Amino acid sequence: MNEEKIIVCRCEDITLKEIRDLINDGYTTLEEIKRITRAVMGPCQGKTCGPIIAREISKITGKPIEEIYKPSIRPPFGGLFFKEIVGEKDEK
Amino acid sequence: MKNYDILIIGGGPAGISAALAASKFNLKVALFEEKETLGGQLVKQTHKFFGSKDESAGTRGIFIAQKLINDVNNKDNIDVYLNSMVLGYYEDGVVTALVKGKMEKFKPKKIVIATGAFEKSLPFENNDLPGVFGAGAVQTLMNVYGVLPGKEVLMVGSGNIGLIVSYQLAQAGVKVKGIVEISEKIGGYLVHASKVRRLGIPIYTKHTITKAIGENKVEGAIIENIETKEKKQISCDVICLATGLMPLSDIINQINCEMKYISELGGYVPVHDDNMKTTVENIFVAGDTAGIEEATAAMLEGELAGLYASYELTNIFDNRINEIKERLKEFRKTSSKVVSGLKKLNLYNDFTVNSQEDLGKLHRTGIPEKESIESNIPKENKRFAIIECYQKIPCNPCVSSCPTNAISMDSLNGIPKLDTNKCIGCGNCVAICPGLAIFVVDKESVLLPYEFLPLPNKGDIVEVVDREGKFLEKNIVLNVRKMKDKTNLIEVKVSKEHINNARHIRVVK
Repeated sequence: MNEEKIIVCRCEDITLKEIRDLINDGYTTLEEIKRITRAVMGPCQGKTCGPIIAREISKITGKPIEEIYKPSIRPPFGGLFFKEIVGEKDEK
Repeated sequence: MKNYDILIIGGGPAGISAALAASKFNLKVALFEEKETLGGQLVKQTHKFFGSKDESAGTRGIFIAQKLINDVNNKDNIDVYLNSMVLGYYEDGVVTALVKGKMEKFKPKKIVIATGAFEKSLPFENNDLPGVFGAGAVQTLMNVYGVLPGKEVLMVGSGNIGLIVSYQLAQAGVKVKGIVEISEKIGGYLVHASKVRRLGIPIYTKHTITKAIGENKVEGAIIENIETKEKKQISCDVICLATGLMPLSDIINQINCEMKYISELGGYVPVHDDNMKTTVENIFVAGDTAGIEEATAAMLEGELAGLYASYELTNIFDNRINEIKERLKEFRKTSSKVVSGLKKLNLYNDFTVNSQEDLGKLHRTGIPEKESIESNIPKENKRFAIIECYQKIPCNPCVSSCPTNAISMDSLNGIPKLDTNKCIGCGNCVAICPGLAIFVVDKESVLLPYEFLPLPNKGDIVEVVDREGKFLEKNIVLNVRKMKDKTNLIEVKVSKEHINNARHIRVVK
């Protein structure tokens, strides 16, 4: 199995190897991995990779997944433009 | 700032049902949907639903969606916000949403969250190659936009979604090369599995996908037996992942409802009571976001949440609330997974599930054991129905369709029994069975359900195949009955030696 060719975070293009290396280096929370790699911070906001990373942490550290995967969410849930908040002004 | 009595997030089966329930009390309802149409996943579900007649069993998902959408459009007190994504919830009860390119504020008295689910992904080598799809995407492309995802598909996952999408791909003329299942048993309803097996699609239980092959796009896949580690290469241009769903709970999380990780329900689910109330005042949940189940359960839960939220506002208690709770119980009688998940939420504490027996070969291959098949064949020499339905699932349209009451069932979750003395071989049950599991056998013909194009004509010679899609013989079509709901009935002549194995036909071009 070539871990470098397995994509865990599709949005930020993070591989399984990068994730496993970090966990083995001692970064064993989703929060740490997120800050270092940007995984979980793409357009899907970790819906795809979050559970997979949590499972990897669980496998390597032996901690139950319930204690690892606790997504924290802040509004806005999706991407939006400033003009959509403040209203568009004619620049002329 | 717009004020509403009830604001519903998500316009799928659960959300619409909640909106319709609340509108009965003349409350002001807002229904938010992120996409351009209401209906959620129902709009791509071209298969017929299981369940009881009261909950649209035997009806195709797309028609259920149409009816729900029409009902919503006929209500003056429901404001539908399409293309509108809810973006946040704030402590003072204000909800923000992007409506027509502008952030708007709403202040509802109650909120029902029915945001559905998200597909789980799978790590394997080259899983980012173009051609790796989620099953939901394949269904949207194919059934909503009329675009084929590819020519040859390998399906990963044998739950109901994997089985149903495989069948739909085959209907669209795509070659499905196989269904890969990591567990030793097929995950979905076995009638769905039998349906795809008849088309000649193999199901590889105890197998997993380890690699996608290809440089710039998918050209094949390597699957591996998880016990023997034996590898097998399959050529395909699409790998379709149907590996499970998880509740989409962003909003619930942000609102700070208590959450619990329950693997049986798909992941993190909001703690809720049997009225669908979460731990935060005025916030309700319904449908897959409250725990992964079927669409029928989602509609019932949505209605329940809508009625209970309305009750808290109007003080009018609708007896339908208790009725729905009973219906849900009846529905969950055979789903040990869902019930054990709900028990972890302290619901259904003293509820017992009818245990599911291991159906042996049928559970592993989708083809019933020889003994089960033979037990179905009565000695009398007459025209009668053969019901190849051996698994306890909540479904009974065959019973209600029988004009002579020849089919009986202990309960909604029972297994149908046929009284051959009463059966007249009319074929009503063949046409209505959502699992396509009923056939009528005569002395030298078999009447079978057929959902493919082109339809053969009376007098055409077709290939008669068995439960594995293996060729038995060529024979003549005796009759074609075109049905309104598109499960057409084909009566084909079959020689005596093959009569008990002929279960599908292939039209020869």
